[in-house]
Amino acid sequence: MSEPGLPLAGLRVLDISSFIAAPAAAVVLGDWGADVIKVEGPEGDPNRRIMLDSSNYPKGEVNYPWHMDSRNKRSLVLDLKNPKARAALDRLIAVSDVLICNFPPPVRDKLKLAYEDVKPVNPKLIYASLTGYGETGPDRDRPGFDVTAYFARSGILDAQRYEGGPPGVPVPAQGDRATAMTLVSAILMALIHRLKTGEGSWVGTSLLGNGLWSGGVIAQAALVGAYLPHRPPPDRPRSALGNIYRTSDDRWLQLTIVREDKMWPGVCKTIGRPDLVDDPRFAEIEERRNRSAELAAILREAFASCAYEHWRQALAAHGITFGVISRPQDVPDDEQARACGAVVDTAIPDMPHTLANPIKLGFAEQRIANPAPALGQHSDQILTEAGLSSEEIASLRKSGAVR
Amino acid sequence: MSEALPLSGLIVLDISSFIAAPAAAAALADFGADVIKIEPPGEGDPHRNSYRNASYPQSDKNFPWQLDGRLKRSIALDLKNEDARPVLERLIGRADVMIVNFPPPARERLQLRWEDVERLNPRLVYCSLTGYGETGPDRDRPGFDVSAYFGRSGILDAARYEDGPPGLSLPAQGDRATAMTLVAAILLGLRQRDRTGKGCWVGTSLYANGVWANGTSAAGALVGAKLPPRQAPDRPRNALTNLYRTKDDRLLQLLMVRDDRLWEAFCAAIERPDLRADPRFATRAERRAHPLELVRELMLVFAARTYAEWERTFAGTGIPFGVIGRLADVVEDEQAEHAGIFAATANPDVPRTVNNPIRLGFAKPRTAGPPPTVGQHGEEILRELSYGEADIQALRKRGALG
Repeated sequence: MSEPGLPLAGLRVLDISSFIAAPAAAVVLGDWGADVIKVEGPEGDPNRRIMLDSSNYPKGEVNYPWHMDSRNKRSLVLDLKNPKARAALDRLIAVSDVLICNFPPPVRDKLKLAYEDVKPVNPKLIYASLTGYGETGPDRDRPGFDVTAYFARSGILDAQRYEGGPPGVPVPAQGDRATAMTLVSAILMALIHRLKTGEGSWVGTSLLGNGLWSGGVIAQAALVGAYLPHRPPPDRPRSALGNIYRTSDDRWLQLTIVREDKMWPGVCKTIGRPDLVDDPRFAEIEERRNRSAELAAILREAFASCAYEHWRQALAAHGITFGVISRPQDVPDDEQARACGAVVDTAIPDMPHTLANPIKLGFAEQRIANPAPALGQHSDQILTEAGLSSEEIASLRKSGAVR
Repeated sequence: MSEALPLSGLIVLDISSFIAAPAAAAALADFGADVIKIEPPGEGDPHRNSYRNASYPQSDKNFPWQLDGRLKRSIALDLKNEDARPVLERLIGRADVMIVNFPPPARERLQLRWEDVERLNPRLVYCSLTGYGETGPDRDRPGFDVSAYFGRSGILDAARYEDGPPGLSLPAQGDRATAMTLVAAILLGLRQRDRTGKGCWVGTSLYANGVWANGTSAAGALVGAKLPPRQAPDRPRNALTNLYRTKDDRLLQLLMVRDDRLWEAFCAAIERPDLRADPRFATRAERRAHPLELVRELMLVFAARTYAEWERTFAGTGIPFGVIGRLADVVEDEQAEHAGIFAATANPDVPRTVNNPIRLGFAKPRTAGPPPTVGQHGEEILRELSYGEADIQALRKRGALG
C-alpha cells in the first residue's frame, strides 16, 4: 500500500512483468511510497522459483530473491488469456498511474497490452516498456536476458576476459538491477512530463542499451576505432607489482603500487625476501617490467604461503597500497555497508536484513521491506479498490479469470 | 534550450569530476537541462585526460570526454580562491540542481556541503555522490569504480570461473551504471521540490550501487546462502545455460532457463530426437543430474554449424540464446541502431556516440556537439549572472576565473 510522506505516495503502479529488471524497477518505486500491484498469471512470476531453477543462484532456506524483487508489492492473479480478465484489468488500468510491461512485443500484441491498446483506457497512464533489444529491428521479438542482451551482445563479456581465457562471467541479475535504475529514471521523467502537460506517455529502455551505456567507454572507443587489448593473465602480467595474487585461504589481493621505486624494498621485506632488494634481476623498474613473469612467479609463491588477514596487516605495516577484493559473504558483516545504507533491516522474520535500493534522500526514508506476497494474496482487495463488486469478483473467480 | 524536452529550463551545476557524477549530468543534459560544468582553471576536470590512461583503449580522439562532457557549458573557477566564492554563490542561487562528488573532507574545506549551500537557495536539489557513503569508517576514502563498486561489493570475487582469478571490470562500467541511480535520485528530489516548494539533499554511493548490482548474491549472503563458483564451459552445472563454440569460432550463450517448457522444441530444433528419447535427459531433474554427458553431446552439436546458422535454426522457437558480442560487431549492429543505442553527434572528431539509454515517447535526447574546452563559456555564464565586463576582467586578474 501507499504511504504518505514519501515522494511517490499516492502513485499506483501495475507491475505486469516478470523476472528481474522490470520488477526491480517497481520495487524501487515501492520503496519510495508507490502502491505496487503485481499482476501475475495463474502460474505466477517464474522469478518466484528462480533460486531453485537456476543452477547459478546461491541456494538458501529463504526465497531471498523473491523477497528482494517483490517487497512491499501486492499480488493479483489474472489469467490475461481469459477475455473476462481483460475487462477487470482495464478497470485497474483506468485508476493507475504507471504500467510496467516486459513481455516481448509479439506477446504484448497477443494480449493487447501494447501502449496503443491501453492508452485509450487511460490517457494519463505512463507506460514503461522494457525489452531485451529495443522496440523495432530484426531482434525486437527476441526474449532478452541480462546475460545475453546486457552482457554478451554488448561486447562486455568479450572485453572482460583474460588473454586466451574464456569470456567474463556476470553475477546473477547484475545487469538487470542496473537497468532497473534507468527504467525508474524514465518513469520519473514521464511523471515530470505529465505534471507539465497533463498527458500520459510511453517510456522505455532495453537491456542491450543499458549494457552499452555501462560499457560506454569501450563502446565509445569502438565508435572511433579504438579497442581495449585483453588483460594478460595474472601469471604473465604487464607489471608484477600491479597484479593480483591468491592467498593461502583462497582470497585475492590486488597490488596497486604506484611509486614502485620507493616501495620495492618494502615489498621484498613484506614477503620475507629481503635478498631481492639488491637482486640485479629486479634492480630497476625496467628490469622488473622485463622480467614481470619471473617476478610474478616469486610473488605468487610468497602470497600463497599465508592467509589474507596476515597479508592485509603486513602490507599495511609497510605502507603498501592494495585493493580489497571482497567476497559477497563479506558484505553483510561490513560496517560500511550498513553505514552507506546498502544493507538495511526488514520486517521479514526469516530474512531480517536486505539490500536497500541505492538512492538516498534527505527528506524521506525507504519503506521497510515486508514479505513478498503469496500468489494472488491480494486479488480480492485490489479488485474491490478498482470498484468491482463482490458479485463481479465471484464471477471472475468462477470463470478462472481471477485466482 | 529546447522547450519540448522534459528537463528544459532546469539549471544544473556539475561540480564533479571523472565519470559517475558527470555522466549523470550528461544524462540530464540529454533531456534538456542546461548543465554548467564548474572546473578548476588550467587542466579542468582530470577526466579530460582519461583517454591517455593506459587502461583505456588507445586513441588520438578524446572519446571519453565527448561522452561525459557533451552538451555542457564550462566555467573555470578556482574554488580555493576567495574571489570565486561570490560567483559560485550566485550560480548556486539560480540553480535547480547541484551535483558534487568531492570526498567529505574536501567538501567541508570548500564549504560545499548541503548545510553550507541550503541557505543560499532553499529550493536547490543537492546531489551527492561518494565512494562509500556519507557516514561510517570509510566515508572519507576516495572511491573509484574498480575499488568501491566492483572490488568492495564482492562482484569481482563472484564473477569468476572456479579456480580462476577474479573477474575483470571495464573502464567506468560501474560509474556509468551508478549515473542512472543519481538521475533517479535527482528526479525524486525535483518531484519533492515541486510538491513542497523546498529543496533537498539526495545522493548515492558507488559501494551501494555495486552491492545493488550484486544484489542477488548479496541478498543470498544475508541469509547465509553462498554463490556456487561458476564452472568452466566444458563442465557446467547446467548444460542448457552454458557457452558453446560454433563452427565459425563464435561463442553462443545458451540460456534455456525454462527447459521444463522448451526441451522438446530444443531437441527438435537441433534435430536430435534421440536426446529427447534418452532417459538420462528425460526430465529437468535428469538433465541437471547429467550435465557432463549432456554438455559433451551439445558441444559437438553446436560445433557443427556457424552462429548465423544457429540464428536461423532457433528463429521463432522461443529458445533464449545469444552471441558473445565483439565490440567491432556491435558498432555495426543493425539492432543497436534500432534500439537507439548510438547517436550521431555534431562533432566531426567523434561523429557517433553512445546514446542515453532512456527512451521517451514524447521527446528525443538532444544531439551533442563538441564538449566544452576548459572555461569556454565562463564569460557567457557570468554575463547571465549580470556580471559586467570590468567585474569579469577583475576575476580573471585575481585568478578566480580561468
